[in-house]
Amino acid sequence: MYFKNYKEVLFKGIIGFFIILLSTFILLTIAVVLKRSLPELWESIKDEEIQFAIKTTMYTSTIATLIALIFSVPIAYGLAKYQFPGKGLVNGIIQIPNSIPPIASGIALLLLFSSEYMTALVTKLGIDPVFSVKGIILAHFFINAPYMIRILKTTFEEINPKLEFISRTLGCSIWGTFFRVTLPLARNGIITAIIITWTNTLGEFGTALMLAGSIRMKTETLPVAIYLSLSGGNLNKALSAATILIIISVVGLFTFEFVGMKKRNKYSD
Amino acid sequence: MLSVKHIYKKLGNLKLCDINFEVKRGEYFVILGPTGTGKTVILETIAGVYNIDKGNIFINNKDITNLSPEKRNMGFVYQDYLLFPHLTVKENIVFGLKARRASKENINNSLSKICKTLRIEHLIDRKPNGLSGGEQQRVAFARAIITSPEILLLDEVSSALDPNTKKEFQVNLKNIHKKLNTTTIHVTHDFNEARFLADRIAVMIKGRMCQIGTPEEIFNNPSSKYVADFLGNNNFKFGDGENVKSQLL
Repeated sequence: MYFKNYKEVLFKGIIGFFIILLSTFILLTIAVVLKRSLPELWESIKDEEIQFAIKTTMYTSTIATLIALIFSVPIAYGLAKYQFPGKGLVNGIIQIPNSIPPIASGIALLLLFSSEYMTALVTKLGIDPVFSVKGIILAHFFINAPYMIRILKTTFEEINPKLEFISRTLGCSIWGTFFRVTLPLARNGIITAIIITWTNTLGEFGTALMLAGSIRMKTETLPVAIYLSLSGGNLNKALSAATILIIISVVGLFTFEFVGMKKRNKYSD
Repeated sequence: MLSVKHIYKKLGNLKLCDINFEVKRGEYFVILGPTGTGKTVILETIAGVYNIDKGNIFINNKDITNLSPEKRNMGFVYQDYLLFPHLTVKENIVFGLKARRASKENINNSLSKICKTLRIEHLIDRKPNGLSGGEQQRVAFARAIITSPEILLLDEVSSALDPNTKKEFQVNLKNIHKKLNTTTIHVTHDFNEARFLADRIAVMIKGRMCQIGTPEEIFNNPSSKYVADFLGNNNFKFGDGENVKSQLL
């Protein structure tokens, strides 16, 4: 009996040890930044450059997440629900940006959009991404859409296809079934995918740097502001930008989680 | 009414071979067979889940083989009921009527009528998660029949119930069938259930329909050793023309 309890305590103890260790490490890292920069945070927020960086970060992250969502929902659904020739290959191609370093992706995108034909095309369409805010959005989208597709694919796979079929037998079309059954059932997965993509795009740096550059007050996001401030020896400004980034991420994360939890609770009595 | 002609369908290891049967209007038709023999696949094929490899399905002489599920006007109840977890009981039940854009008045009338018949008025504002197996089943049943389907397809609907609830459900099922006279195809592996409910029974073994007949014919005169073995009839004797084995292999 004692031996059995001892094993159980050891088992749970190891789990607890790792949870506490990692949580402490994360909190300690954040606390060091906050402690240093919080007293001067208000002054930093009033800084025009930081304000520009906050706006650019929020704008590019939100737009990139929305575009990723528009692409990811149909792609993830198709990969989860349908069988077609070359499905494995398509899945592999879509996940390529996940496996190559962001900076390499950035160079590849820069080369693509600097080519003669592509430049002519995107200029005509008014969406030239090279050294512009559109480039930040494109870079965020390129890097993060595969993550979103992966999460949503798992979400759609977990939905019992018989539920969708029942909806069809009840007179709902394939579209009606998607909007009235599949999407509501995928809501938690979609919320999770949005949280992860949005928080990832807030801090995405390498790819956007290559494609959009690090032009002060033009393509300056918060990560770029950190980079430019550090390069210029302005540690306080870099820390302020980092703190704001942390606050936005954490607030965003908890807001989405809160909304998600409320929706989840609606499922049960 | 329903006519299934020479259907072939391969689905993984499962193979439906030359499935042929007809169901008359208002008939209670039971497909009886061991687990894993393809009974559910037949129901799903009739309802339009799968494209069949060969063969045709007719309703009232109209070929519905390539018709999408929502245009077939069939009700389907699965073994595990599959209520929509994000909707209340009421929303589940009226789902089909809303999809058909029925009027509010029609929806309310049908809802109260069906809830009264199935004694589920007290459940309508609850979510499916909190319901017992029997309650979920009645709700799933209400959802399937509220749209007045031409054919009701029931897939092992009572197999998850305890013996008392099961008996009560079978009696209710019989009464409701008498009242509504909906053509019903019911898949089961339960002999007693088949005998109690069916006007006619089709015995299905290894993806083939081996015998179709009234409960008396099936249980008293199995047409082959395979049917007899499945039904536990030990008095079966080979006749001269017995060649069912070759049909099955």
